[in-house]
Amino acid sequence: MRHACKKISQLASDSLDRPLSLLERLKFKLHLSMCSHCRDFDHNIKLIHKVTAMMHTTDYGQTRLSEKQRQQLHNNLNAIK
Amino acid sequence: MKKVDDGPHSWLHEHGDYLYRFAMSRLHNEDLAADMLQETLLAGWKGFDKFAGQSSIRTWLVGILKHKIIDHIRREIRGRNLSEAVENDPTSAYFNSNGSWSDAPAAWKENPEDLFSNEQFYKTLESCINKLPEKQQIVFRMRDITGEDTETTCKTCDVTSTHLHVLLHRARLALRTCLNIHWFERGNRS
Ligand SMILES: [Zn+2]
Repeated sequence: MRHACKKISQLASDSLDRPLSLLERLKFKLHLSMCSHCRDFDHNIKLIHKVTAMMHTTDYGQTRLSEKQRQQLHNNLNAIK
Repeated sequence: MKKVDDGPHSWLHEHGDYLYRFAMSRLHNEDLAADMLQETLLAGWKGFDKFAGQSSIRTWLVGILKHKIIDHIRREIRGRNLSEAVENDPTSAYFNSNGSWSDAPAAWKENPEDLFSNEQFYKTLESCINKLPEKQQIVFRMRDITGEDTETTCKTCDVTSTHLHVLLHRARLALRTCLNIHWFERGNRS
């Protein structure tokens, strides 16, 4: 294998964070066309990436200050001001 | 023009929940989120003459809160000396010396929506994230869960973008392996 899988796995990860250069894209695509392991790794981390992105939007949708917290904050603001 | 009723108490009333939610989604800790909210309201009050009115009060307060959160995480990282050297490379565990996979990945067939709505999977994912070394965990949460941009993540964690990419690569390799062992190979797949 011309480009070792370890390096390609770094590119697979990087592609989630930054645009790859033209040369990197070529290397990456060529390697993936020949290596099913890297193809599968790329698929799996993209899958994780999608799931984790969903975690954020739904996790705190219903979160509100409790009455106790709110009262405490009002008190603190009065004390400090 | 300042309105008479402008001030931390009315901001708390109008924007408190919104700001609190913003802080919770980044800090995952109720007391801490409330502290940050309080600091934000006070800082806003102190610096209110600098508020030019080009943006809404809420946008302006969110900007202050963002900085408070970044400062907090930075202090946390510095204070506990959470460094992770680029030199000692934990990713060697996943590869042979010639750079090929030592434990070859196989594609997971599930779709993200099903995984996301599966409570057991969600728990497994959380526990795998919690097992990451702390600095990897912080950058991974900021980038992949909160969706913070690279620049903010680097600034908050005091790392170069190259180092950030190294840390994220490590985190994703570890997560893939952890999920494979604790979920996909276990026959939990539906
Ligand atoms: Zn490969």
